[in-house]
Amino acid sequence: MSEAWIRGEDARRASAADWLVRLQSPDLADLDEQVAEAVAFDNWLAAHPANVAAYDAVLAVTLELQNAAAAIGKAFEDGPVARAALARRSPAATRGWLIAGALAAAATVALTVTPFAGLQTAGSAPKSYVTAKGERRAVKLADGSTIELNAGSALSVTLGAHERHVTLAEGEAVFDVAADKARPFIIAAGDRTVRVVGTRFDVRRRAGELSVTVERGLVEVNPAEGAPHSGMAGRGFRLRPGQRLDHREGAGEVQLSAADPAQVSSWRAGRLIYRDRPLSEVVADLNQQFAKPIAIDDPVLAQTRVSGVLVLDDQDAVIRRLALLAPIKALPSPQGVLLRRDEAAKP
Amino acid sequence: MAQTDDDPLLALYLERRTNLVRFLAARAGSLAAAEDLAQDLYLKLVSRDPTPDISNPLALLYKMALNLMLDRARGEARSAARDTAWRQVERTEVGGVAIADEPPADEAAASAQRLRQLVAAVAELPPQAGRAFRLHKLDGLSHAETARVMGLSVKAVEKHVSAALKALTARLGARGGAGGPP
Repeated sequence: MSEAWIRGEDARRASAADWLVRLQSPDLADLDEQVAEAVAFDNWLAAHPANVAAYDAVLAVTLELQNAAAAIGKAFEDGPVARAALARRSPAATRGWLIAGALAAAATVALTVTPFAGLQTAGSAPKSYVTAKGERRAVKLADGSTIELNAGSALSVTLGAHERHVTLAEGEAVFDVAADKARPFIIAAGDRTVRVVGTRFDVRRRAGELSVTVERGLVEVNPAEGAPHSGMAGRGFRLRPGQRLDHREGAGEVQLSAADPAQVSSWRAGRLIYRDRPLSEVVADLNQQFAKPIAIDDPVLAQTRVSGVLVLDDQDAVIRRLALLAPIKALPSPQGVLLRRDEAAKP
Repeated sequence: MAQTDDDPLLALYLERRTNLVRFLAARAGSLAAAEDLAQDLYLKLVSRDPTPDISNPLALLYKMALNLMLDRARGEARSAARDTAWRQVERTEVGGVAIADEPPADEAAASAQRLRQLVAAVAELPPQAGRAFRLHKLDGLSHAETARVMGLSVKAVEKHVSAALKALTARLGARGGAGGPP
Protein backbone atom coordinates (compact mmCIF):
# COMPACT_ATOMS: atom_id res chain seq x y z
CA MET A 1 0.00 0.00 0.00
CA SER A 2 1.73 3.17 -1.14
CA GLU A 3 1.45 6.47 0.64
CA ALA A 4 -0.15 8.07 -2.43
CA TRP A 5 -2.81 5.36 -2.46
CA ILE A 6 -3.62 5.99 1.21
CA ARG A 7 -3.87 9.75 0.53
CA GLY A 8 -6.19 9.02 -2.40
CA GLU A 9 -8.40 6.79 -0.29
CA ASP A 10 -8.51 9.42 2.43
CA ALA A 11 -9.52 12.12 -0.04
CA ARG A 12 -12.25 9.96 -1.53
CA ARG A 13 -13.60 9.17 1.90
CA ALA A 14 -13.69 12.89 2.66
CA SER A 15 -15.61 13.56 -0.59
CA ALA A 16 -17.98 10.70 0.19
CA ALA A 17 -18.64 12.08 3.69
CA ASP A 18 -19.24 15.55 2.20
CA TRP A 19 -21.77 14.09 -0.25
CA LEU A 20 -23.59 12.17 2.44
CA VAL A 21 -23.84 15.26 4.66
CA ARG A 22 -25.19 17.28 1.73
CA LEU A 23 -27.75 14.62 0.81
CA GLN A 24 -28.88 14.25 4.41
CA SER A 25 -29.55 17.95 4.92
CA PRO A 26 -31.94 18.88 2.15
CA ASP A 27 -31.96 22.63 2.78
CA LEU A 28 -32.68 23.14 -0.91
CA ALA A 29 -36.35 24.08 -0.99
CA ASP A 30 -36.64 23.90 -4.73
CA LEU A 31 -37.27 20.45 -6.22
CA ASP A 32 -35.25 21.27 -9.36
CA GLU A 33 -32.23 22.17 -7.24
CA GLN A 34 -32.55 18.88 -5.39
CA VAL A 35 -32.75 17.05 -8.71
CA ALA A 36 -29.64 18.85 -9.95
CA GLU A 37 -27.80 17.86 -6.78
CA ALA A 38 -28.93 14.24 -7.15
CA VAL A 39 -27.72 14.14 -10.74
CA ALA A 40 -24.37 15.62 -9.71
CA PHE A 41 -24.15 12.95 -7.01
CA ASP A 42 -24.95 10.18 -9.50
CA ASN A 43 -22.28 11.53 -11.87
CA TRP A 44 -19.75 11.60 -9.05
CA LEU A 45 -20.51 7.95 -8.24
CA ALA A 46 -20.30 6.98 -11.90
CA ALA A 47 -16.98 8.78 -12.34
CA HIS A 48 -14.94 6.16 -10.46
CA PRO A 49 -15.60 2.78 -8.82
CA ALA A 50 -13.52 3.94 -5.85
CA ASN A 51 -16.05 6.73 -5.27
CA VAL A 52 -18.78 4.11 -5.00
CA ALA A 53 -16.73 2.04 -2.55
CA ALA A 54 -15.91 5.10 -0.42
CA TYR A 55 -19.54 6.24 -0.36
CA ASP A 56 -20.85 2.76 0.50
CA ALA A 57 -18.41 2.55 3.40
CA VAL A 58 -19.45 5.96 4.77
CA LEU A 59 -23.15 5.19 4.21
CA ALA A 60 -22.97 1.81 5.98
CA VAL A 61 -21.23 3.28 9.03
CA THR A 62 -23.59 6.26 9.14
CA LEU A 63 -26.73 4.12 8.94
CA GLU A 64 -25.35 1.76 11.56
CA LEU A 65 -24.68 4.67 13.90
CA GLN A 66 -28.09 6.25 13.21
CA ASN A 67 -29.84 2.95 13.90
CA ALA A 68 -27.91 2.52 17.12
CA ALA A 69 -28.37 6.20 18.08
CA ALA A 70 -30.60 5.50 21.07
CA ALA A 71 -28.24 2.85 22.47
CA ILE A 72 -25.16 5.01 21.90
CA GLY A 73 -26.88 7.99 23.49
CA LYS A 74 -27.77 5.88 26.50
CA ALA A 75 -24.19 4.64 26.84
CA PHE A 76 -23.05 8.26 26.88
CA GLU A 77 -25.49 9.11 29.65
CA ASP A 78 -24.57 6.07 31.74
CA GLY A 79 -20.98 5.17 31.11
CA PRO A 80 -17.57 6.49 32.12
CA VAL A 81 -16.98 7.41 28.51
CA ALA A 82 -19.82 9.86 28.74
CA ARG A 83 -18.56 11.39 31.96
CA ALA A 84 -15.18 11.93 30.37
CA ALA A 85 -16.87 13.54 27.40
CA LEU A 86 -19.02 15.70 29.68
CA ALA A 87 -15.93 16.94 31.50
CA ARG A 88 -14.58 18.26 28.21
CA ARG A 89 -17.67 20.31 27.54
CA SER A 90 -18.06 23.98 28.42
CA PRO A 91 -21.03 25.00 30.65
CA ALA A 92 -22.78 26.85 27.83
CA ALA A 93 -22.49 23.80 25.68
CA THR A 94 -23.98 21.58 28.38
CA ARG A 95 -27.22 23.51 28.27
CA GLY A 96 -27.59 22.91 24.57
CA TRP A 97 -26.83 19.24 25.06
CA LEU A 98 -29.52 18.92 27.72
CA ILE A 99 -32.14 20.67 25.58
CA ALA A 100 -31.24 18.40 22.70
CA GLY A 101 -31.50 15.36 24.94
CA ALA A 102 -34.93 16.41 26.12
CA LEU A 103 -36.16 16.88 22.56
CA ALA A 104 -34.92 13.45 21.56
CA ALA A 105 -36.49 11.83 24.62
CA ALA A 106 -39.86 13.46 23.91
CA ALA A 107 -39.81 12.21 20.33
CA THR A 108 -39.02 8.66 21.45
CA VAL A 109 -41.85 8.57 23.97
CA ALA A 110 -44.38 9.83 21.45
CA LEU A 111 -43.41 7.10 19.00
CA THR A 112 -43.58 4.20 21.43
CA VAL A 113 -46.87 5.16 23.03
CA THR A 114 -49.00 5.97 19.97
CA PRO A 115 -49.66 2.71 18.16
CA PHE A 116 -52.28 0.07 18.60
CA ALA A 117 -54.12 1.43 21.64
CA GLY A 118 -57.66 0.13 21.45
CA LEU A 119 -56.89 -2.58 18.95
CA GLN A 120 -56.69 -5.37 21.49
CA THR A 121 -59.78 -7.27 20.49
CA ALA A 122 -60.55 -10.23 22.66
CA GLY A 123 -61.11 -12.86 20.00
CA SER A 124 -63.56 -13.61 17.24
CA ALA A 125 -65.22 -16.39 15.29
CA PRO A 126 -63.50 -17.49 12.06
CA LYS A 127 -64.38 -15.41 9.02
CA SER A 128 -63.99 -16.70 5.49
CA TYR A 129 -63.00 -14.71 2.43
CA VAL A 130 -63.24 -16.08 -1.11
CA THR A 131 -62.46 -14.48 -4.46
CA ALA A 132 -63.79 -15.70 -7.81
CA LYS A 133 -61.78 -15.91 -11.02
CA GLY A 134 -60.69 -12.45 -12.06
CA GLU A 135 -61.70 -10.95 -8.71
CA ARG A 136 -59.24 -9.27 -6.37
CA ARG A 137 -60.18 -8.08 -2.96
CA ALA A 138 -58.63 -6.19 -0.03
CA VAL A 139 -59.76 -7.08 3.47
CA LYS A 140 -59.10 -4.93 6.50
CA LEU A 141 -58.98 -6.93 9.71
CA ALA A 142 -60.05 -5.65 13.12
CA ASP A 143 -56.43 -5.64 14.35
CA GLY A 144 -55.39 -3.19 11.63
CA SER A 145 -53.76 -5.81 9.39
CA THR A 146 -54.75 -5.96 5.74
CA ILE A 147 -54.94 -8.95 3.43
CA GLU A 148 -55.13 -8.51 -0.33
CA LEU A 149 -56.48 -11.62 -2.01
CA ASN A 150 -55.56 -12.49 -5.56
CA ALA A 151 -58.16 -14.08 -7.84
CA GLY A 152 -59.32 -17.63 -7.17
CA SER A 153 -58.31 -17.60 -3.50
CA ALA A 154 -59.92 -18.78 -0.29
CA LEU A 155 -58.81 -18.17 3.26
CA SER A 156 -60.25 -17.95 6.76
CA VAL A 157 -59.21 -15.65 9.58
CA THR A 158 -59.51 -16.12 13.34
CA LEU A 159 -58.39 -13.26 15.55
CA GLY A 160 -57.85 -15.01 18.86
CA ALA A 161 -56.87 -13.50 22.17
CA HIS A 162 -53.41 -15.07 22.03
CA GLU A 163 -52.90 -15.72 18.36
CA ARG A 164 -54.07 -14.43 14.99
CA HIS A 165 -54.60 -17.36 12.69
CA VAL A 166 -55.15 -17.54 8.94
CA THR A 167 -55.68 -20.70 6.92
CA LEU A 168 -54.88 -20.26 3.25
CA ALA A 169 -56.86 -23.06 1.58
CA GLU A 170 -56.00 -22.05 -1.96
CA GLY A 171 -54.67 -19.09 -3.87
CA GLU A 172 -52.43 -16.16 -3.12
CA ALA A 173 -52.47 -13.12 -0.85
CA VAL A 174 -50.28 -10.27 0.32
CA PHE A 175 -50.31 -9.79 4.08
CA ASP A 176 -49.56 -6.48 5.75
CA VAL A 177 -49.53 -7.38 9.40
CA ALA A 178 -50.01 -4.90 12.23
CA ALA A 179 -47.50 -5.35 15.01
CA ASP A 180 -48.88 -7.04 18.10
CA LYS A 181 -46.22 -8.86 20.02
CA ALA A 182 -48.76 -10.49 22.34
CA ARG A 183 -50.61 -12.12 19.43
CA PRO A 184 -48.39 -13.71 16.79
CA PHE A 185 -49.79 -13.86 13.26
CA ILE A 186 -49.70 -17.40 11.92
CA ILE A 187 -50.67 -18.57 8.46
CA ALA A 188 -51.29 -22.25 7.77
CA ALA A 189 -50.79 -23.22 4.12
CA GLY A 190 -50.71 -26.93 3.37
CA ASP A 191 -47.95 -28.63 5.30
CA ARG A 192 -46.21 -25.37 6.28
CA THR A 193 -46.98 -22.67 8.76
CA VAL A 194 -45.79 -19.12 8.24
CA ARG A 195 -45.09 -17.20 11.40
CA VAL A 196 -44.81 -13.49 11.06
CA VAL A 197 -41.94 -11.67 12.62
CA GLY A 198 -42.11 -8.74 10.23
CA THR A 199 -44.74 -6.99 8.23
CA ARG A 200 -45.26 -7.54 4.53
CA PHE A 201 -45.09 -10.61 2.34
CA ASP A 202 -46.83 -12.68 -0.30
CA VAL A 203 -48.04 -16.25 0.28
CA ARG A 204 -49.19 -18.40 -2.58
CA ARG A 205 -50.64 -21.92 -2.54
CA ARG A 206 -51.82 -23.31 -5.82
CA ALA A 207 -52.21 -26.97 -6.71
CA GLY A 208 -49.97 -28.09 -3.86
CA GLU A 209 -47.18 -25.63 -4.71
CA LEU A 210 -46.40 -23.18 -1.95
CA SER A 211 -44.31 -20.06 -2.21
CA VAL A 212 -43.61 -17.27 0.27
CA THR A 213 -41.93 -14.01 -0.78
CA VAL A 214 -40.98 -11.35 1.76
CA GLU A 215 -41.23 -7.69 0.91
CA ARG A 216 -40.53 -6.13 4.30
CA GLY A 217 -39.53 -7.45 7.70
CA LEU A 218 -38.95 -11.05 8.66
CA VAL A 219 -41.07 -14.15 8.16
CA GLU A 220 -40.61 -17.66 9.49
CA VAL A 221 -41.75 -20.68 7.52
CA ASN A 222 -42.00 -23.92 9.51
CA PRO A 223 -43.30 -27.44 8.87
CA ALA A 224 -46.90 -27.76 10.04
CA GLU A 225 -47.63 -30.19 12.84
CA GLY A 226 -47.73 -33.68 11.40
CA ALA A 227 -45.68 -32.80 8.31
CA PRO A 228 -42.75 -35.13 7.63
CA HIS A 229 -39.79 -33.95 9.69
CA SER A 230 -37.03 -35.22 7.47
CA GLY A 231 -34.54 -33.61 5.15
CA MET A 232 -34.49 -29.94 4.35
CA ALA A 233 -38.28 -29.71 4.59
CA GLY A 234 -38.11 -30.80 8.22
CA ARG A 235 -36.72 -27.51 9.43
CA GLY A 236 -37.87 -23.93 9.65
CA PHE A 237 -36.56 -21.02 7.63
CA ARG A 238 -36.38 -17.35 8.41
CA LEU A 239 -36.83 -15.22 5.30
CA ARG A 240 -35.61 -11.68 4.84
CA PRO A 241 -36.82 -9.08 2.33
CA GLY A 242 -36.15 -10.16 -1.23
CA GLN A 243 -36.06 -13.86 -0.33
CA ARG A 244 -38.45 -16.44 -1.63
CA LEU A 245 -39.20 -19.97 -0.44
CA ASP A 246 -40.72 -22.58 -2.76
CA HIS A 247 -42.01 -25.95 -1.59
CA ARG A 248 -44.15 -28.72 -3.06
CA GLU A 249 -46.42 -30.13 -0.40
CA GLY A 250 -45.24 -33.49 0.87
CA ALA A 251 -41.85 -33.19 -0.82
CA GLY A 252 -38.64 -33.50 1.16
CA GLU A 253 -37.11 -30.29 0.00
CA VAL A 254 -37.46 -26.55 0.09
CA GLN A 255 -35.92 -24.09 -2.37
CA LEU A 256 -34.69 -20.70 -1.30
CA SER A 257 -34.01 -18.04 -3.90
CA ALA A 258 -33.74 -14.33 -4.37
CA ALA A 259 -36.94 -12.74 -5.66
CA ASP A 260 -38.21 -9.29 -6.39
CA PRO A 261 -41.22 -8.91 -4.06
CA ALA A 262 -42.63 -6.12 -6.21
CA GLN A 263 -42.74 -8.55 -9.11
CA VAL A 264 -44.29 -11.37 -7.11
CA SER A 265 -47.10 -9.21 -5.74
CA SER A 266 -47.54 -7.14 -8.90
CA TRP A 267 -50.98 -8.75 -9.38
CA ARG A 268 -52.24 -6.24 -6.80
CA ALA A 269 -51.80 -3.50 -9.38
CA GLY A 270 -53.43 -5.52 -12.17
CA ARG A 271 -50.14 -6.65 -13.65
CA LEU A 272 -48.10 -9.79 -13.66
CA ILE A 273 -44.34 -9.39 -13.72
CA TYR A 274 -42.02 -12.28 -14.43
CA ARG A 275 -38.31 -12.68 -14.52
CA ASP A 276 -37.19 -16.04 -15.84
CA ARG A 277 -40.27 -18.04 -14.77
CA PRO A 278 -41.66 -21.10 -16.64
CA LEU A 279 -44.50 -20.51 -19.08
CA SER A 280 -46.58 -23.04 -17.11
CA GLU A 281 -46.54 -20.69 -14.10
CA VAL A 282 -47.64 -17.74 -16.24
CA VAL A 283 -50.50 -19.81 -17.67
CA ALA A 284 -51.54 -21.00 -14.19
CA ASP A 285 -51.69 -17.35 -13.07
CA LEU A 286 -53.68 -16.29 -16.14
CA ASN A 287 -56.13 -19.12 -15.55
CA GLN A 288 -56.95 -17.56 -12.18
CA GLN A 289 -57.70 -14.25 -13.86
CA PHE A 290 -59.82 -15.29 -16.85
CA ALA A 291 -62.81 -17.57 -17.35
CA LYS A 292 -61.63 -19.19 -20.60
CA PRO A 293 -59.04 -21.87 -19.62
CA ILE A 294 -55.63 -21.76 -21.31
CA ALA A 295 -53.79 -25.06 -21.83
CA ILE A 296 -50.30 -26.01 -23.05
CA ASP A 297 -50.02 -29.41 -24.71
CA ASP A 298 -46.24 -29.44 -24.99
CA PRO A 299 -44.27 -30.16 -21.77
CA VAL A 300 -41.07 -28.69 -23.22
CA LEU A 301 -42.90 -25.51 -24.18
CA ALA A 302 -44.40 -25.39 -20.68
CA GLN A 303 -40.88 -25.09 -19.25
CA THR A 304 -39.87 -22.22 -21.55
CA ARG A 305 -38.62 -19.33 -19.45
CA VAL A 306 -40.55 -16.06 -19.62
CA SER A 307 -39.50 -12.55 -18.58
CA GLY A 308 -41.68 -9.47 -18.91
CA VAL A 309 -44.74 -7.58 -17.76
CA LEU A 310 -48.33 -8.53 -18.58
CA VAL A 311 -51.05 -5.97 -17.98
CA LEU A 312 -54.27 -7.78 -17.09
CA ASP A 313 -57.08 -6.36 -19.18
CA ASP A 314 -58.70 -8.38 -21.96
CA GLN A 315 -57.80 -12.07 -22.21
CA ASP A 316 -57.19 -12.08 -25.97
CA ALA A 317 -54.99 -8.98 -25.69
CA VAL A 318 -53.03 -10.55 -22.83
CA ILE A 319 -52.41 -13.71 -24.87
CA ARG A 320 -51.29 -11.60 -27.85
CA ARG A 321 -48.78 -9.81 -25.61
CA LEU A 322 -47.66 -13.11 -24.10
CA ALA A 323 -46.82 -14.22 -27.66
CA LEU A 324 -44.26 -11.39 -27.73
CA LEU A 325 -42.50 -12.84 -24.69
CA ALA A 326 -42.58 -16.54 -25.60
CA PRO A 327 -42.52 -18.49 -28.88
CA ILE A 328 -46.21 -19.37 -28.82
CA LYS A 329 -49.29 -19.14 -30.96
CA ALA A 330 -52.79 -19.39 -29.53
CA LEU A 331 -55.40 -21.69 -31.09
CA PRO A 332 -59.06 -21.81 -30.11
CA SER A 333 -59.97 -25.20 -28.64
CA PRO A 334 -63.26 -26.73 -27.47
CA GLN A 335 -62.19 -26.14 -23.84
CA GLY A 336 -60.78 -22.65 -24.29
CA VAL A 337 -57.38 -21.69 -25.66
CA LEU A 338 -54.52 -24.00 -26.58
CA LEU A 339 -50.94 -22.71 -26.68
CA ARG A 340 -48.65 -24.28 -29.28
CA ARG A 341 -45.04 -23.67 -30.10
CA ASP A 342 -44.83 -21.11 -32.88
CA GLU A 343 -42.34 -22.69 -35.26
CA ALA A 344 -42.09 -19.44 -37.19
CA ALA A 345 -40.91 -17.57 -34.10
CA LYS A 346 -37.23 -17.10 -33.59
CA PRO A 347 -35.85 -19.46 -30.94
CA MET B 1 -36.14 -7.76 -21.11
CA ALA B 2 -38.08 -6.84 -24.15
CA GLN B 3 -39.73 -3.71 -22.81
CA THR B 4 -36.47 -1.83 -22.17
CA ASP B 5 -35.71 -1.53 -25.89
CA ASP B 6 -38.38 1.09 -26.49
CA ASP B 7 -38.20 2.62 -23.01
CA PRO B 8 -34.90 4.39 -22.39
CA LEU B 9 -36.05 5.62 -18.97
CA LEU B 10 -36.66 2.06 -17.74
CA ALA B 11 -33.33 0.98 -19.23
CA LEU B 12 -31.58 3.83 -17.40
CA TYR B 13 -33.37 2.89 -14.19
CA LEU B 14 -32.10 -0.67 -14.42
CA GLU B 15 -28.59 0.63 -15.10
CA ARG B 16 -28.57 3.19 -12.26
CA ARG B 17 -30.77 1.39 -9.77
CA THR B 18 -28.00 0.87 -7.20
CA ASN B 19 -27.04 4.57 -7.36
CA LEU B 20 -30.68 5.52 -6.82
CA VAL B 21 -30.75 3.26 -3.77
CA ARG B 22 -27.55 4.93 -2.50
CA PHE B 23 -29.19 8.35 -2.89
CA LEU B 24 -32.48 7.29 -1.32
CA ALA B 25 -30.74 5.51 1.57
CA ALA B 26 -29.01 8.76 2.54
CA ARG B 27 -32.32 10.61 2.42
CA ALA B 28 -34.52 7.96 4.03
CA GLY B 29 -31.96 6.88 6.62
CA SER B 30 -32.35 3.19 5.86
CA LEU B 31 -31.46 0.80 3.08
CA ALA B 32 -34.76 -1.05 3.47
CA ALA B 33 -36.77 2.14 2.99
CA ALA B 34 -34.57 3.03 0.01
CA GLU B 35 -35.18 -0.38 -1.57
CA ASP B 36 -38.91 0.08 -0.98
CA LEU B 37 -38.84 3.44 -2.76
CA ALA B 38 -36.77 2.06 -5.63
CA GLN B 39 -39.33 -0.72 -6.08
CA ASP B 40 -42.17 1.80 -6.09
CA LEU B 41 -40.30 3.75 -8.73
CA TYR B 42 -39.88 0.58 -10.79
CA LEU B 43 -43.61 -0.13 -10.63
CA LYS B 44 -44.33 3.45 -11.61
CA LEU B 45 -42.00 3.12 -14.60
CA VAL B 46 -43.38 -0.17 -15.90
CA SER B 47 -47.00 0.94 -15.51
CA ARG B 48 -46.70 4.15 -17.51
CA ASP B 49 -46.60 4.50 -21.29
CA PRO B 50 -43.01 4.50 -22.53
CA THR B 51 -41.76 7.89 -23.68
CA PRO B 52 -38.99 7.38 -26.20
CA ASP B 53 -37.74 11.00 -26.33
CA ILE B 54 -36.63 12.51 -23.04
CA SER B 55 -34.08 15.30 -23.03
CA ASN B 56 -32.59 14.54 -19.61
CA PRO B 57 -33.63 11.06 -18.48
CA LEU B 58 -31.33 10.95 -15.43
CA ALA B 59 -32.83 14.17 -14.05
CA LEU B 60 -36.34 12.84 -14.70
CA LEU B 61 -35.51 9.61 -12.88
CA TYR B 62 -34.30 11.45 -9.76
CA LYS B 63 -37.21 13.87 -9.97
CA MET B 64 -39.63 10.94 -9.93
CA ALA B 65 -37.73 9.42 -7.00
CA LEU B 66 -37.86 12.69 -5.03
CA ASN B 67 -41.57 13.07 -5.76
CA LEU B 68 -42.19 9.54 -4.52
CA MET B 69 -40.37 10.43 -1.29
CA LEU B 70 -42.50 13.55 -0.89
CA ASP B 71 -45.70 11.61 -1.52
CA ARG B 72 -44.68 9.09 1.07
CA ALA B 73 -43.71 11.72 3.60
CA ARG B 74 -47.12 13.36 3.19
CA GLY B 75 -49.29 10.27 2.95
CA GLU B 76 -47.56 7.90 5.28
CA ALA B 77 -46.78 9.95 8.35
CA ARG B 78 -49.09 7.60 10.24
CA SER B 79 -47.66 4.35 9.00
CA ALA B 80 -44.12 5.71 9.26
CA ALA B 81 -44.75 6.27 12.94
CA ARG B 82 -46.19 2.78 13.07
CA ASP B 83 -43.21 1.29 11.26
CA THR B 84 -40.74 3.08 13.48
CA ALA B 85 -42.56 2.02 16.60
CA TRP B 86 -42.73 -1.50 15.22
CA ARG B 87 -39.00 -1.48 14.63
CA GLN B 88 -38.39 -0.24 18.13
CA VAL B 89 -40.62 -2.88 19.64
CA GLU B 90 -39.89 -5.87 17.46
CA ARG B 91 -36.47 -5.55 15.98
CA THR B 92 -33.40 -3.44 15.59
CA GLU B 93 -31.41 -2.62 12.52
CA VAL B 94 -27.65 -2.96 12.42
CA GLY B 95 -25.98 -1.54 9.34
CA GLY B 96 -29.32 -1.41 7.57
CA VAL B 97 -29.94 -5.11 8.14
CA ALA B 98 -32.95 -6.00 10.22
CA ILE B 99 -32.16 -8.21 13.17
CA ALA B 100 -35.11 -10.06 14.63
CA ASP B 101 -36.03 -9.70 18.27
CA GLU B 102 -34.59 -12.30 20.62
CA PRO B 103 -31.44 -12.91 18.62
CA PRO B 104 -29.35 -16.00 19.38
CA ALA B 105 -26.91 -15.50 22.26
CA ASP B 106 -23.83 -15.24 20.03
CA GLU B 107 -25.53 -12.57 17.91
CA ALA B 108 -26.49 -10.63 21.02
CA ALA B 109 -22.92 -10.79 22.30
CA ALA B 110 -21.57 -9.70 18.92
CA SER B 111 -23.93 -6.75 18.75
CA ALA B 112 -23.09 -5.74 22.34
CA GLN B 113 -19.41 -5.79 21.41
CA ARG B 114 -20.11 -3.81 18.26
CA LEU B 115 -22.08 -1.25 20.27
CA ARG B 116 -19.04 -0.76 22.55
CA GLN B 117 -16.92 -0.14 19.45
CA LEU B 118 -19.42 2.43 18.15
CA VAL B 119 -19.57 4.25 21.50
CA ALA B 120 -15.77 4.30 21.83
CA ALA B 121 -15.35 5.60 18.28
CA VAL B 122 -17.84 8.42 18.88
CA ALA B 123 -16.30 9.27 22.25
CA GLU B 124 -12.85 9.65 20.73
CA LEU B 125 -13.80 12.05 17.96
CA PRO B 126 -12.18 15.50 18.15
CA PRO B 127 -14.31 17.63 20.54
CA GLN B 128 -16.08 19.91 18.04
CA ALA B 129 -16.66 17.18 15.44
CA GLY B 130 -17.86 14.82 18.16
CA ARG B 131 -20.31 17.34 19.52
CA ALA B 132 -21.71 18.26 16.12
CA PHE B 133 -22.05 14.56 15.31
CA ARG B 134 -23.86 13.70 18.56
CA LEU B 135 -26.26 16.64 18.36
CA HIS B 136 -27.08 16.06 14.71
CA LYS B 137 -26.92 12.29 14.23
CA LEU B 138 -27.72 10.94 17.70
CA ASP B 139 -30.11 13.57 19.03
CA GLY B 140 -31.66 14.33 15.69
CA LEU B 141 -31.17 18.09 15.61
CA SER B 142 -31.07 19.70 12.18
CA HIS B 143 -27.87 21.35 10.98
CA ALA B 144 -29.42 24.74 11.72
CA GLU B 145 -30.40 23.74 15.26
CA THR B 146 -26.99 22.21 15.87
CA ALA B 147 -25.40 25.42 14.62
CA ARG B 148 -27.50 27.47 17.05
CA VAL B 149 -26.65 25.22 20.01
CA MET B 150 -22.93 25.27 19.20
CA GLY B 151 -22.81 28.92 18.24
CA LEU B 152 -21.37 28.14 14.82
CA SER B 153 -22.43 28.69 11.21
CA VAL B 154 -24.36 25.95 9.41
CA LYS B 155 -21.43 25.50 7.02
CA ALA B 156 -19.07 24.95 9.95
CA VAL B 157 -21.44 22.35 11.42
CA GLU B 158 -21.59 20.53 8.09
CA LYS B 159 -17.79 20.49 7.97
CA HIS B 160 -17.59 19.04 11.47
CA VAL B 161 -20.21 16.37 10.76
CA SER B 162 -18.47 15.41 7.53
CA ALA B 163 -15.11 15.18 9.30
CA ALA B 164 -16.73 13.02 11.99
CA LEU B 165 -18.24 10.65 9.41
CA LYS B 166 -14.91 10.37 7.64
CA ALA B 167 -13.07 9.54 10.87
CA LEU B 168 -15.77 7.09 12.00
CA THR B 169 -15.72 5.30 8.66
CA ALA B 170 -11.95 5.02 8.73
CA ARG B 171 -12.18 3.48 12.18
CA LEU B 172 -15.37 1.39 11.99
CA GLY B 173 -15.86 0.65 8.33
CA ALA B 174 -13.00 -1.74 7.71
CA ARG B 175 -14.80 -4.97 8.61
CA GLY B 176 -15.66 -6.87 5.44
CA GLY B 177 -15.42 -3.79 3.25
CA ALA B 178 -18.66 -4.19 1.34
CA GLY B 179 -21.42 -2.60 3.32
CA GLY B 180 -23.48 -0.63 0.86
CA PRO B 181 -26.32 -1.50 -1.47
CA PRO B 182 -25.92 -4.69 -3.50
